[in-house]
Amino acid sequence: MVSVAAARPAAPGARIGGVAYRFGRELPPRVLGLVMNLPTMLTLALVLAYPIFYAAYLSFHKVSLAQLRRGIFPFVGLDNYHRILTDPLFLLALKNTFIFTAFSVTLEIVLAIAIALLIDQKHVWTGRITKFLILLPYAVPPIANGLIWSFLYNFDFGFLNRILFTLGLIHEPINWSGEPSTALLAVAVPYIWRTLPFAILLIHAALQGIDPAMYEAASVDGANALQRFRHITLPLLAPVIVVTLVLRTSFAFAVFDEVLAITQGGPGDATWVAAWYSYKKGFNPPFDIGVGSASAFVLALIVGALAIAYVKLIYRRIQ
Amino acid sequence: MADRTRIPGGLGRRDFLKASTAGVTLAALGGAPAWAAGTPWADRPASKVDKLNFVVWTYGDIYTKIAAKFQADWGIPVDSTISSFNDHPTKLMTMYAGGEAIDVSQSSPFSFPNFISQDLVEPLDDMPGAKEYLADLTESAKQVAVYNGKLMGLPYFSTVWVWNYYQDMLEKAKFEPFTSYDGFMEQCRKAKKDKLCEYPVAWVAGVGLEQLPGTWYQMTWNRGGVFFDKSGNHQLGDGSIARETLKWWMQTFKEDLADPESLKAQFTTSAKAFGAGKNLYRGPNHHYGLNIVNDPKQSPIAGKVKVHGSPGDGRTIGDSHVYFLCTASRDKEWAWKLLQYLGGKTKDGKYTQAENLARDAMLGSGYKSVMTSNVITEGWKPWGDPAKILEIWDKATYVGEVCNSIYKPWHFPWTDRLNIEVQKALTGQITADTCCDNLIAAIKEVQKG
Repeated sequence: MVSVAAARPAAPGARIGGVAYRFGRELPPRVLGLVMNLPTMLTLALVLAYPIFYAAYLSFHKVSLAQLRRGIFPFVGLDNYHRILTDPLFLLALKNTFIFTAFSVTLEIVLAIAIALLIDQKHVWTGRITKFLILLPYAVPPIANGLIWSFLYNFDFGFLNRILFTLGLIHEPINWSGEPSTALLAVAVPYIWRTLPFAILLIHAALQGIDPAMYEAASVDGANALQRFRHITLPLLAPVIVVTLVLRTSFAFAVFDEVLAITQGGPGDATWVAAWYSYKKGFNPPFDIGVGSASAFVLALIVGALAIAYVKLIYRRIQ
Repeated sequence: MADRTRIPGGLGRRDFLKASTAGVTLAALGGAPAWAAGTPWADRPASKVDKLNFVVWTYGDIYTKIAAKFQADWGIPVDSTISSFNDHPTKLMTMYAGGEAIDVSQSSPFSFPNFISQDLVEPLDDMPGAKEYLADLTESAKQVAVYNGKLMGLPYFSTVWVWNYYQDMLEKAKFEPFTSYDGFMEQCRKAKKDKLCEYPVAWVAGVGLEQLPGTWYQMTWNRGGVFFDKSGNHQLGDGSIARETLKWWMQTFKEDLADPESLKAQFTTSAKAFGAGKNLYRGPNHHYGLNIVNDPKQSPIAGKVKVHGSPGDGRTIGDSHVYFLCTASRDKEWAWKLLQYLGGKTKDGKYTQAENLARDAMLGSGYKSVMTSNVITEGWKPWGDPAKILEIWDKATYVGEVCNSIYKPWHFPWTDRLNIEVQKALTGQITADTCCDNLIAAIKEVQKG
């Protein structure tokens, strides 16, 4: 026999958990949203916001080894920012970072779309193997990746020169990482090789979400492959391309491992990038962490501004 | 170096007295070991610690061995944090800033003044036995270990800069080792023209504190120049020896006589690359590189690489690296004990580490008594000619005499600029004049802090 209480519909509050049930009423959607988001917000504040704000704090203080140990940082106002913004090396490092980012992100997006389209062809039986192989570079630790490529680039014994020489593409070995004109490229290629799978994954996932009926309909209407790509694929991929752009740009701005392993900023200052500058200032004698933090914070501001620009200029236009 | 006094047997008066005292004590104790009491390296500190640690850069398995010996002698385990040479200051800094305990660490002469200025280094003058160590230091080691009149560290190793040549190639070319810089250029040009080798000289010109800078310092000093005078004024102006040396050096790159890999070469990597037998000469570098290039396990041309002195009066440079007691140690007395195992004497009163480094790695010592012992003359033999190297050693001057900014905390950031500017000059991006002018301007910038 079913009791009256059991047969009665549950109170509205009972559907949303114990807290609401006890108070006997449903939480307003805004409050509920806040409660649900609070753990994530707290975690992000702890692991992301705190270090960023701490770096900002340090950037306004004189911080060196002794001060860090004692925990006493004299306030120096904008002095650290003045120092980096008047340092030609920092400005050069920024310039190199912009060139590196523009080159690597552009190439990465173009390659990622092309490769994602290729492996999306279901009738190509090697697609599955290719998908697996493409992921491999992403599993290589960045520093190991840099070391592997530094061996490939070796002027005397590197495989890259040997292959190009065998193919008749070069007649003299090229000092890829030792020539100022090619050194930044020599850092960019391994970086792209390592991070490309991430972009491919995102775009490939988005491709799989496109309804095949749209292509069929377009084909019936006489659209060729290029037109289908131009008018169906690309517009539908645009949101994920913007997300990829934001992520890849922010990561490319922080490129460090390949520089450390392949060129150490050289030859001369040809591959000094912003993250390398921050590292050299903050983590090498005289351990000027205040200056290092200031340069890192400027970098963070630039990345933030670029992310906003991407969203405003591209994403909203698409929406 | 010049003070490498040759005393047969290497037993000093103090050592003799100590040994005699220990002998008498041994007799009195009726068979107790000679190191049981009365010597600073043999006494057990009164305090207690569970463990000790050191933060060092990698060099074979020397640290595993010495840590094991310390534990065997004193029953206290030793943790080691080991990173690469270039990453060592960063590792040390992060540990120190993070409030971790660091008992002993090490430093190159180029970083040491900076470490001292950052309160990282504990003075040693009051530690038991410090005076004995000080008395036995070579002049080179003293230049690094003694700062503002205080003993701040104990020697890790000492080295001098020497040239190398590949004997088979030299004989094939029918050359004698060069005796002048003009002669060197002529030989290189001829070797290239005759297709004996594509790049006759491999330089150690990679970014570093003493790699690229050391090569320039050495060749400038050999020509009679310095980078700063005794008053600290730079000597890089128009017509200076340093500037002219750089012009000459650049010429070897312009004429494609220099191996392009030189600009990335560190001491070890350049020794390994030279072992491929593709170059006639290897530019001035640490003497112990021979233990790689003349090691049959590591080099196809082992035994064929010879040491060569510099032109003119043969003057060259040398330096010493040190271990130090960190202000962040967990127990000063025990840290001193551990420091002695690395840079001084072990419980048995021997310079165990210094002797092992000479035998296993061809390193020189910062102690006179070790440098004058047969540990050096016999220990170095497998890889080179000790007599020839010691002859060069006697013509070496501590690098601080050539570039006395080494004693300043701003030397490190200035060296960063030096690496950049000189590499730009060697790759033809700027002239030697622009390079030196930029370096002069950089002095003021880095001095501002």
